[in-house]
This record gives sequence, structure tokens and C-alpha cells, in this order.
Amino acid sequence: MADEEKDKKEENQKSGEEKIGETAEEKLSKCEKQRDEYLAGWQRAKADFLNYKKDEIKRLEEVARYGTEDLMEELITVLDNFDLGLTALEKAGPVEKGIYMIRSQIEDILKKRGLSRIPIKIGEQFNPAIAEAIAETESAEPTGTVLEEIEVGYRLHDKIIRPARIKISKGQK
Amino acid sequence: MAKILGIDLGTTNSAVAVTEGGEPRILENSEGNRTTPSIAALSKTNERLVGLLAKRQAITNPKNTIFSMKRLIGRKFTDPEVQKDKAWLTYDIQASSSGGIEIKMGDPSISSGQGKWYTPEEISAFVLAKLKADAEAKLGEKVEEAVITVPAYFDDSQRQATKNAGEIAGFKVRRIINEPTAAALAYGLNKQKNEQIVVYDFGGGTFDISVLEVGDDIVEVKATGGDTHLGGDDFDKRIQEYLVSEYKKQEGIDISKDPLALQRLKEAVERAKHELSTAAETEINLPYISSDASGPKHFLMKLTRAKLESLVKDYIDRSIELTRETVTAPPPKGAGFELKDIDEVILVGGQTRMPAMVEAVKNLFGKEPHKGINPDEVVAIGAAVQAGILQGDVKDILLLDVTPLTLSIETLGAVATPMILKNTTVPTAKTQIFSTAADSQTSVEIHVLQGERPIAADNKTLARFILDGILPAPRGLPQIEVTFDIDANGILNVRAIDKATGKSQSVKIEASTSLSKEEVERLKKEAVEHAAEDVKKRELVETRNQAESGIYLAEKALRDAGDKLNEDIKKSVNEKIENLKRVKDGDDIEAIKSAIADLSAEIQKIGQSFYTKDTKDSKDEPETKPDQ
Repeated sequence: MADEEKDKKEENQKSGEEKIGETAEEKLSKCEKQRDEYLAGWQRAKADFLNYKKDEIKRLEEVARYGTEDLMEELITVLDNFDLGLTALEKAGPVEKGIYMIRSQIEDILKKRGLSRIPIKIGEQFNPAIAEAIAETESAEPTGTVLEEIEVGYRLHDKIIRPARIKISKGQK
Repeated sequence: MAKILGIDLGTTNSAVAVTEGGEPRILENSEGNRTTPSIAALSKTNERLVGLLAKRQAITNPKNTIFSMKRLIGRKFTDPEVQKDKAWLTYDIQASSSGGIEIKMGDPSISSGQGKWYTPEEISAFVLAKLKADAEAKLGEKVEEAVITVPAYFDDSQRQATKNAGEIAGFKVRRIINEPTAAALAYGLNKQKNEQIVVYDFGGGTFDISVLEVGDDIVEVKATGGDTHLGGDDFDKRIQEYLVSEYKKQEGIDISKDPLALQRLKEAVERAKHELSTAAETEINLPYISSDASGPKHFLMKLTRAKLESLVKDYIDRSIELTRETVTAPPPKGAGFELKDIDEVILVGGQTRMPAMVEAVKNLFGKEPHKGINPDEVVAIGAAVQAGILQGDVKDILLLDVTPLTLSIETLGAVATPMILKNTTVPTAKTQIFSTAADSQTSVEIHVLQGERPIAADNKTLARFILDGILPAPRGLPQIEVTFDIDANGILNVRAIDKATGKSQSVKIEASTSLSKEEVERLKKEAVEHAAEDVKKRELVETRNQAESGIYLAEKALRDAGDKLNEDIKKSVNEKIENLKRVKDGDDIEAIKSAIADLSAEIQKIGQSFYTKDTKDSKDEPETKPDQ
């Protein structure tokens, strides 16, 4: 009985020792694994942060560039209305030169801030990248030809903030 | 680590988001917009167009401009919904050989062109492929995988078809998730325990209501409802019709046939609708909208929020009725809950910015709905959150905690001066220089506090310790550098050093961030409740501190001036000092302030009396009167 117990103890000790031996090795490899993981995580976090900083600079530049977009959108409707007013005045008779000067003054200010008119040529093919077709009529021109520029389109730097609104040809019946 | 896109493939518009560094964000498309129209077209010049470009030619090319694909995808041609939609869709559809749907885009009889009968999956794939290409351009890297959202009511066939569309577009579709689930994920509600959530999604063309139950990170859809033909576009149409008819009444001119006038009105309506979300009234101002024999005609009309609300009231009422039904009706029609059982309400869709709608939802459930995230983007954001989990962006070991409450130090007058603000990501450290409050003070007590209240006693004390051995000096001169340092495990180290002697003292506080959720909530709530009185208390303390330093300065000035000072001035300054001392410990801020003002005016006389004496001595021409 006592011997058995002793044996058991020894056995336990032996397996215990083995366990300790294993554990030490295991511990080391676990530590190494963890170390690699942590280092990778750290490197990734640092890289993420550096990339984030770069992105943030880019985003800030974008914000500075396009931050006026809302204001520009509203101002171009004023410019539209100015043009409509001018056309109506022209129909009624000669228009005072100063009115044209005021108009070009407004446009110059907006131009300096990156706004530009999208050039549309009558007789060209409709290009949805810069224009929106809002009407269509039959004509002698081939299908899809621009017949009339109904509303001027504008770009703010590279971004189209309003496409030109045009009337296109449906072709002949 | 390869990125996975989160895609909200919508009926009218789609959005894409990605999770980077643990944070989801929307990716803009190549046109610089945050949403992309879910439209594909074959132009008259036989060119395939997708998104905004397809939309720009829709009016003149209705037969070959394909939209609302989501209404058809994964359905049988004989499906009653499809038959209903067929009536108003502008393009041709037919049954495929397998009983599904085929859509005609372009002319299939021209063998050289791209014209043929397409499946809804193929058309959706065109949209998805554009989203993929634009996202890749924006991110500057290839993206192969995606999480795509679908309405909660989509059946297996619709889900499978959506997945196929993703695959045709070149994605490996990692998961198809429900839109309401994505919305809940975006708000982080998936972590809640046993909650009932209602997602009220009022989009451009569809209205979806979903009842979810969350528990242990599992989100279960309990019921869905809504109206697939009710949306924000109906609101725009209603307003536009009203304005056209009003104008006809006023001016006798019908502008509904003039494409330019209508286009201008449409834009003005959209703008007015947005403005009325914040303003009570807006003006629709369209000069030269038309003309008649008498000359040009203008459009000038006021639209009030009340009018707008009355115009669309029936739509809102209907959505609320449908919501009530979906929540309360017994299964399978509804979730069989009571309205009061609902713990959270989430608003999705641009139209939910309308205050009347928010109010109606709030009244129905008796609680404030979640609406912090842009309602047009919340589903895509949620999809990106799911994608982030799948891409394993943030490993557990790298999950960084935040301090739930502000950590402060007590300063003169029992004020809690914040060192590390709440919601700061840890590990972090902050150092600040403090000084003594009295002359010849040789020790300072560092009292570390936690909480949002400005008065020290209202916060929780984490630790106190004394730094002594400070060399005797006038108040404000010694420099005591205090550092708060929290490590990633939330262990706070507070250290104070006397810069002159180098003597230091420190304390380590375990688990400064591990408050129970309830405790954090209680402390935050208290801070909000007491905000007004706290501001007053703080002002009182600050005024008292001013009084103290005023008295200190005055007494010092008197001492420095010594016998050289005129007895009258000395007497009057002393009177003012006594007066301030009397009132400073009271609660009347105004009395203290006026006593401070009196004293500081009086102190100036000390200086003035010297300078005027000097100038008299040297130049004999006083420039300032003594009582100025």
C-alpha cells in the first residue's frame, strides 16, 4: 500500500517533471509566437497610423479644395438666373454695358476659386460624362446629337458639380 | 491584410464602405460622390454606362436604362410583385427559360452589339463592378472580397441571386447580411443583451420596417413589413405637384410641360425639402421660369414646414401604421411584441432627416431613435463593420480600450481639473505643471479623481497622496509636475515631482477603467443632470479663487509699499480687502465679483500714487488723474 503510494508519487513527480520540461519549451515557443504576433501587431498599428496620417492630409486637401461645393452649387443657380435676366433684357432692347461687367465680375471670382464652365458644342454627340439629356426632339441631325444647351454645366476643379442640361436629337421619324 | 468592401446595394442608390484601422468609412466613387445610382444602361451609341452617367441619359433612353433591379432579382417572372412592377417599368422584361426574368437592354437583333436579354444578376453585376473599380481606384489596391446587404425579407433565391451578382462582378462574396442588421451593427447594438430593435428604413423608393432581436452577438429577424412602393421620391413628387398647381392658380401658366422649368423646380424642391429639416420656412425663388405675352414670369413662393408636413402627412401616417402592425401583430404577420417592449429604434434612409418623421417615430415608441450616423450611409457602414470583423482587421490583443470617465486632479477651491478626458484611447499619458496655493507651502496633496463633475467632491476618489519637502517659496512659484499615465490594461500611474528638489511621489491605481457599465452610466447621467448647477458651482469657486488672489495681491502691494504709501489709500484698500473677505465665502457670485472689482480699482491707486509722484518729480506734468 505504502509502496504503491510511493510509486504513484514518483510517477506523478516524473510526469510532473516532464510536464515542467514540456512547459518550459512550450512556454518559450508560445512566447516566441506571441512576440512575433505582438511585433507584427505593433508594426501594423504603426503602419496604419502613418498611412492614416497620409490619408488625412489628402482628405484635408480635398476638403480645402471641395469645401466650397455647396456654396458654389447655390451660386451657380444665381448665375443662371442672372443669365435668364440678361436674355430677357436683351429681348427688350440694348442692355447697359455695366450689367455685363457685373456678370463677368461674379464669374471671375468663382473662376479664381476653381469653378469652370463645361464647354458644350451644338452638333456634337451627347456625352453623359459631362451632360444630362433632359429633352429630345426629332431633327435632321443623327440620333444623340446635341441640339441645344438648355442649362450651362459647371466643374469645380475636376469634379462636375452640375452637368450641362441639353436637348438632343431623336433622329428623323 | 486584404480589405473587404461593405456594399449597400440599394434599389435606387448604392454605397460602399471599408474598415481601415478599425474604423469604417464611406468610399467616394469616381465622380466624387458618396452614393452611386443603381442604374445601368446601354447608350444609343452602344456604350455601357453605369451609375450617374446612366442616370444622365435616362430621360432620353428609357427603354435601355435599367433601374430598380432589386425589385426583380431572384424572383420568378410569374411572381405577382413582378407582374405589378412590369406595368410601370420603362424597359422590357420577359420570362427566361428557367422561369426567371430577363431584361432587354439594347437591341438583341444586332449581333455585333452588346444588346441582348440580360438576367437581373448581370445588370446588378454591372453596378457592383463599377463600385468595385471605383473603390479600388480610391484605395489604390485590388479588392477581391465583399459583404453585400439585402432587405431582411429577401428569400433564399433572392439572396443567392444577389450573391451571384457579386460573383459575376468579380467579388468573392464573403457574406450576405440583412440591411437592418447592418444598421444595428453600425450603431454597435449587436453587443446588447436580449434587446428588441426596430429599424425604420424610409428610402428613396421603398419603405422597410424590420423587428430584430439581439442577444449574445446573434441578430434574429423577428418580423418584416413596409411598403415596397413608398419612399422619399413620393414626397418630392407631391411637393412638386402642389407647387405646379399653385403656380397655375396664381399665374395661369402650366409649367409641367416645360422640361427646363420642371428641372429647375425639381432641384428647388429637393433643396427646399432639405432646408425645411432645419428651418421653419423657405422661399422657392426661380426667376424667369416662363414667359407669356406680357413678358417674363417668375416663380416666387414661400413653403413652410407646416405646409410640407401637411402635404405628406398621409405618407408618414401610413408608415407609422405599418410600423405598429409589424411590431404588434401576432406572428407570422408581425413580431407579436408590444410597442413598449422595443428597446432601440434606428432610422435609415435620407427621408428620415425630416423632423416630422422623427417625431412620429418617437411618439410611437416613446423613445428617441438612433440617428447619429448619416441615414443614407448607415447600412454600408454596418456592412463594412461586418467586413472588418471578417478581415480580422483588429486582433483581440490589439483592441484598445478607452477611459470611460475623465480622470482629474483636485486643485484650489476643490475644483476637479481634468488630466485625461473620457473616451481617450489608452495607453496614454498627460503631464501638467501645478503649483502651491499659499506662501511657504511645503507640501501638496495630490487627490486623484474620476468622473465628469467639475467639483472634486462630486467625483469618485481614486487615490490621495502627499508630496512634501517643497522648499518654502511664495505661492505659485514652486513647480510640481504631475503625470497621469494609463497603460493598455487600464492601470493608472500618478506621479508628482517637485522640479526644484527632484523629490517625487507616486501611486499606482489598478483598474482605473474597469468600472461596471452601470456605474459608468450612472456617473455620466449624474453629470448631465447636474450640468447647470455644476457650471454655477464652478463659477463660484473660480470667483472665490479670484477673490483669494486679489486679496493676496492687495496685501502684498500694501506690504511692499510700506510707509511710503498715503494713509488714506492704505485705509481704503484695507477696507476693500475686509469687505471682500466678508463676502468671498458666501454664495452670492455677483457680490463677490463687485467686491473684487472695487478692490482692484482701489489697488491701482497704490501704483498710481507712486507713478504720479514720480512724474511730478521728474516732469511735473501728471498725465493721469489719481482717481482714474
